[in-house]
Amino acid sequence: MASCGGGVGACHQSHCQRSEEDGGAEEEAREMASVSVDSCAAGGGDLVRCPKCGEEAAAKGGPRVLNGMCPSCFHAHLFGKFKLAVTTNAMISPTDKVLVAFSGGPASRVALQFIHEMQCKSLESWDASKSQALPVFSVGVVFIDESIISVNPSNDINKTIEEIRPIVSPLSPPHKDLHVATIENICSMNCNDGKTKLKKLLDSVPDATGKEDLLEYLRMHLLQKIALDNGYNKLVLGSCTSTLACHVISATAKGQGYSLPADVQYVDARWEVPVVLPLHDCVTEELKMLCHLDGMETLQLLKKPSNSINSLISSFISHLRDENPSRERTIVRTAEKLKPFGFNKFVEDKYHEFLPSRLRCKFQNTSNSESALAEVFCPLCGSPLSEPELQSVSDIQEKSHTAVEVFTAHCCESCSFQILPKEPVSLQQFYSILPQPMTRRVTGSTLDHSMLRELIGDCLLVDDYDNDGT
Amino acid sequence: MEDGNASARPRRATGRLCSICNQRKAALKRPKTLEQICRECFYSVFEDEIHSVIVDNNLFRPGERVAVAASGGKDSTVLAYVMSQLNCRHNYGLDLFLLSVDEGITGYRDDSLETVKRNEIEYGLPLKVVSYKDLYGWTMDEIVKTIGLKNNCTFCGVFRRQALDRGAALMEADKIVTGHNADDIAETVLLNILRGDIARLSRCTFITTGEDGPIPRCKPFKYSYEKEIVMYAYFKKLDYFSTECIYSPNAYRGFAREFIKDLERIRPRAILDIIKSGENFRIATSTKMPEQGTCVRCGYISSQKLCKACLLLEGLNRGLPKLGIGRTRGSNGVKKHVEHRNSNTEVSDSNLESKQCGTLNF
Amino acid sequence: MHLTLEFGGGLELLCGSVKTHSVDVKSEPGEHELKMRDLLSWTKSNLIKERPEMFMKGNTVRPGVLVLINDCDWELCGGLDTELEEKDVVVFISTLHGG
Repeated sequence: MASCGGGVGACHQSHCQRSEEDGGAEEEAREMASVSVDSCAAGGGDLVRCPKCGEEAAAKGGPRVLNGMCPSCFHAHLFGKFKLAVTTNAMISPTDKVLVAFSGGPASRVALQFIHEMQCKSLESWDASKSQALPVFSVGVVFIDESIISVNPSNDINKTIEEIRPIVSPLSPPHKDLHVATIENICSMNCNDGKTKLKKLLDSVPDATGKEDLLEYLRMHLLQKIALDNGYNKLVLGSCTSTLACHVISATAKGQGYSLPADVQYVDARWEVPVVLPLHDCVTEELKMLCHLDGMETLQLLKKPSNSINSLISSFISHLRDENPSRERTIVRTAEKLKPFGFNKFVEDKYHEFLPSRLRCKFQNTSNSESALAEVFCPLCGSPLSEPELQSVSDIQEKSHTAVEVFTAHCCESCSFQILPKEPVSLQQFYSILPQPMTRRVTGSTLDHSMLRELIGDCLLVDDYDNDGT
Repeated sequence: MEDGNASARPRRATGRLCSICNQRKAALKRPKTLEQICRECFYSVFEDEIHSVIVDNNLFRPGERVAVAASGGKDSTVLAYVMSQLNCRHNYGLDLFLLSVDEGITGYRDDSLETVKRNEIEYGLPLKVVSYKDLYGWTMDEIVKTIGLKNNCTFCGVFRRQALDRGAALMEADKIVTGHNADDIAETVLLNILRGDIARLSRCTFITTGEDGPIPRCKPFKYSYEKEIVMYAYFKKLDYFSTECIYSPNAYRGFAREFIKDLERIRPRAILDIIKSGENFRIATSTKMPEQGTCVRCGYISSQKLCKACLLLEGLNRGLPKLGIGRTRGSNGVKKHVEHRNSNTEVSDSNLESKQCGTLNF
Repeated sequence: MHLTLEFGGGLELLCGSVKTHSVDVKSEPGEHELKMRDLLSWTKSNLIKERPEMFMKGNTVRPGVLVLINDCDWELCGGLDTELEEKDVVVFISTLHGG
């Protein structure tokens, strides 16, 4: 269900990559992949022709990510993957106001570029169409300044804006609003107060990995807040196959196997502003190469050296990639075979009105019963809770408890271990400075008991079934 | 050498007391809990945890005849020792015996089998050795002579898996216990993710497998850290054998294992977390294992017409050792493969019968 | 300083299949004490005859190699910073060899 390759995929890419289509036993994936790379290289000789347009490729004997394509076909190839992800998952509809999260890195830079190209094309066809019935979606860009956590924090937000604006402003018309915020804004809109609070919050988390992850969750909440405050209804992230592959391994290593499939789909509608990942099928190498070829400017990303699980995993993944370029795809595909959650697709009726008829059927197929099942989310990381975790929520609700205790009970086991302070005093302090959007998630949605029981019951049923099947 | 230094002199940083008994000096840090505990307390928590794994998962029933897969290595040596201890202490009522496979690798198995034989005497468990030669007509030495050092591990792995089942069947065992530890299982989860093998991913964290088959297998060490197993063997001076297989000198150097160990160093709990993830993966019912049938030739459980061992044997016996190595897709795929090779080499079907693995009398 | 080093779990294969080594280690000139970190690099250059990467990674033992100082887990005595004393027994056991 999660894979959208198959028939549709065949039309945009027909050569070497075909070997990857098989989903089943991938033990030989490595051999297959190396053969395909070899054959591309071997086909070269002196005169390399682009397999797509037949023109002589500019990058003769160039990097393997190009797969022998010339730069313009390579651009079209990646744009094709992007477009396919957008259309098959109905990520963007004509009335949408889309916010692109731009980090300065190559992936979100390409996302921004492609969204812009798509917007231009829609505008052209809008101009051309007689009825002009379908509006064209609008686009905004958000940049979050995280220099506070870098080694040498620059205190000048204006300098950051100066760096971002020349990247965003050429992408018009159509005009794109640029929103710049600092990460400490999630704690307080007051700059100094926010800084103090954020530092305090991060300092109370001793685990290096937990600290990094908390920062990521805070970033997501800030993106949500900015999107909501400015009337956006979609949030586009630059997460690509490579980042998703890292996430698959790190979520596994953190014991988040249950919630993992929620994070690796194309659509994640568990947030107030749904999140979409149109670069889901592109790998970092490709995106970097495209930025290089097309002269897209990127920013030097602040990467602090750390000995967290996350950085161990990203070096592990890059080691695997060197050994087999298609490994990242295989990893993500494994995770896609896990059962996604109801919120991993759009089911809202209003989309149907704007969709071409050939796409409408995709939505009618989604059963409402499945998506109707409400999930309970960890207030920190947003993971749907598994059955034993729900049990602890249920237990705590039987008695009356303090706000901190209720909050703690709602946190998933992974966050409880790596983020929540163990000492009651520091836990209390941690809770008191946690941004409202996080604490509100628990108090705002205290479940009524019968519903929780029902949820647990559902999980148990699924478990029983699985055990029988073995 | 045993105790001389440990207790004689007071040490600088090691004067800390065991966090369980608060009396004796701590001897190790538990990866699972980060507690510092003394040897005696370590023995009892280590054994008690395995006991509760056995009880909580109903691994055995009284009166069962249980084969302990014994390679002479650290895991199986500790397994044999602990199983025999627990069986007495908690009156499991199990009829335990050691089951070893002799792959026929000169210099490797000879020595490790000696180790197992010593264990037989020390732990008072009877030993049964089944050899590749008996089961398949080939020793690993002979196989390597035919096929070289490429893919030999495929043969050995496939043959060993079946050899245990066949040996256990021969000895009329009800169950096999293997020494797979938490690190092994975490590594397998990881490898299955890297390979995209969702069917194996769903099964690899089961503590008991093959319950639908004739002889189920279980892993009492599923939650035991390798570090603790090795520490246990060291402190108890258990006699185990630790030479690399001469045919795959660097097999253990796998990148996945290395990664697991790096991860353990940053966060020891990650090993158990990976297992937990593996247990909690939401695997859709449609991606269950293919229906299991039996091999038409030997009767061993197989999802395809021929089991992997018979397929490999067929290749060996026909001088086509590459047969069955690598990817096979469904019974048709196998068939096609065979036919394709056939047409190239003009080997008639009747030759296939010359050497086959014996039929299983389950 | 006189020390006894033992290699087990397959590590002995890296030093000529000899399990127990009685050694005299001089501490760095100018340094008074000998730390585990110094002993590791000494061992790597003086005892390990092949595949040193099986023994060390970076400046410490390869993950998966257990270290005991006088039968005590070195994680309890301070790891690389443990100061060694005369007649200490240091044991290295690999967990990476077959089981």
